[in-house]
Amino acid sequence: MPLIEARGLTKKFRQAVKEPGLVGSLKHFFSRQYRDKIAVDHIDFSVEAGESVAYLGPNGAGKSTTIKMLTGILVPTSGSLVVDGLVPHEKRQQNARKIGVVFGQRTQLWWDIPVIESFNLARDMYEIPAARYRDNLAQFTEILGLAEFMNLPAAKISLGQRMRADLCMALLHDPRILYLDEPTIGLDIAVKDSIRGFIRSRIEERGTTVILTTHDLGDIEDICKRIVIIDNGKIIHDGDLAKLKDTYARDRVIHFQLARPPESMGPIGAGLPACEITTDGLRLSVRFDRFKLAAGEIAAAVMPHVEVVDFRIDEPEVEDLIRKVYLGQLSLSPDAPQTGVLAGA
Amino acid sequence: MAANVAIAGRLRSVRRLVFLYLRCLGQQMKAILAYEADFVVLLFSAVIVQFTGFLFIWTIFQRIPNINGWTFWQVVMMYALIFVTEGVGSLFFEGTWRLTNLVYTGQFDQMLVRPVSPIVQVLASAVGFNGLGNLVTGFVLIGISITNVPVAWTPGRLLMLAILIASAATIRVAINLASAASAFWVSSPWSMVPMFVHQLSEFAKYPITIYSFAVQALIVVAVPFAFVSFFPTAYLFNNEAWSAIGLLTPLVAVYSLLVAVWIFNAGLRRYESTGH
Repeated sequence: MPLIEARGLTKKFRQAVKEPGLVGSLKHFFSRQYRDKIAVDHIDFSVEAGESVAYLGPNGAGKSTTIKMLTGILVPTSGSLVVDGLVPHEKRQQNARKIGVVFGQRTQLWWDIPVIESFNLARDMYEIPAARYRDNLAQFTEILGLAEFMNLPAAKISLGQRMRADLCMALLHDPRILYLDEPTIGLDIAVKDSIRGFIRSRIEERGTTVILTTHDLGDIEDICKRIVIIDNGKIIHDGDLAKLKDTYARDRVIHFQLARPPESMGPIGAGLPACEITTDGLRLSVRFDRFKLAAGEIAAAVMPHVEVVDFRIDEPEVEDLIRKVYLGQLSLSPDAPQTGVLAGA
Repeated sequence: MAANVAIAGRLRSVRRLVFLYLRCLGQQMKAILAYEADFVVLLFSAVIVQFTGFLFIWTIFQRIPNINGWTFWQVVMMYALIFVTEGVGSLFFEGTWRLTNLVYTGQFDQMLVRPVSPIVQVLASAVGFNGLGNLVTGFVLIGISITNVPVAWTPGRLLMLAILIASAATIRVAINLASAASAFWVSSPWSMVPMFVHQLSEFAKYPITIYSFAVQALIVVAVPFAFVSFFPTAYLFNNEAWSAIGLLTPLVAVYSLLVAVWIFNAGLRRYESTGH
């Protein structure tokens, strides 16, 4: 039985339709008009215990709304949702004991009190046994480097420190599920690495299930094996990250820097019939399918005809892949496999 | 046997909530006390404001010996009860005044992902030290009032005074909570509903017999501020017409609290957070 199971999960919001200006506001006051915005539209998915899932989509796609339904903050408009045997919004407090939540944009720490006091309050709220609290706190403080600001209030620490403290607090009670909504937003590389490493260690040591939304693809490659992409409230892809790369990011481009402009392209093209070859002054680029040809074969076909000074290979990044999906240039439906769309330029 | 276990469980969870409420509130107090200068100014200005109000009715009574049969010192008791309960509301339950903002900014989200009743979290989310001014002024006025009214203050009557003050404070906090819950319906950063309801307490500083039936109905039934000041005073000073109703105050307190919790929970189901 899956740990999280959503069937036909839907959330509609009622938005006030208002004309601009004071007149618009007055009109709205006397005759209210609303329109429905469907933020999440009949989505189905399930997550097994121990999985780590990246939940992606452009701004406004429905990511945060889904997370808020999973955590019990929002009541779904229709559909069913069961998280570890509970309907989250019906049993908010019971559900809260089993989950940890980090919203990158907003802290869970108490603003005016020292970080350590926030942790102690969390201990009392979650009724964490003393020994476990002590062990977890010591371990997390060490890994996340919290000691230097433990006695400062949240209002006085930097964003990077705050995020580390937030992550610590979300995990003190050893939750089964960790929800992360943009956990590395606005952080520098070193802090991102420390946060990602910490999350990975939770997954490996405790088998914590992680649901992560992010715009930072580094988060995904470091933490998640599976990605789910949502757009306009609908899930448009759900699958393994490695497989996604193999299917849609097959193309590579090899760029050769030449000593002299090539005299004729004919012989090179004849030697590489399945490739797309372009030239630009002293540069010659060959786009190829990495499952059909090896870079060495391309080089072997090119070198006899021109004098090569230097070369490099561009690999498509997950980032490009996702960007193209968002822009509608790449459809991830299984019936329409596409190649050649991607490759770094 | 099963019933005993259920009752024990309930008691345990109430004890836990009270403990968590005090823990959170204690932390807020510590945080505010860190800004000492602020705290002193707040306290000082609150006392000044309350005494100005008191001088106002004192001036009126210099010209008029009584209002509808109520003497000056009896009206002072009504006044004082409004002060004391307002003080309790601010000092210990200031969070109700913050709910509009918490809901509007979506910060309320974090209270829904913790394993503690959101009502308790809201109540404990802030301390309003300005309430100390009302509290001190109110208790001083109560002290003066009971020594100036020809009533025998037996231990029983003093106990009743304590019960009535506690009930009045409960009613006040329940009214604050219920009006704050309007934030779930009115999506605006400056909802006027709590302030409007709060203003109704001004009526209850005077005997309700001076008002029209509509105003009486409003502060007796709809928003029971009359049970915060008028009816308890009537009971304490043996007013013939109204003292019996004053005895109902503790029941009204329980009822108000239940209604407030019900309204809050109804609102909670509508909560839509922000930034979807």
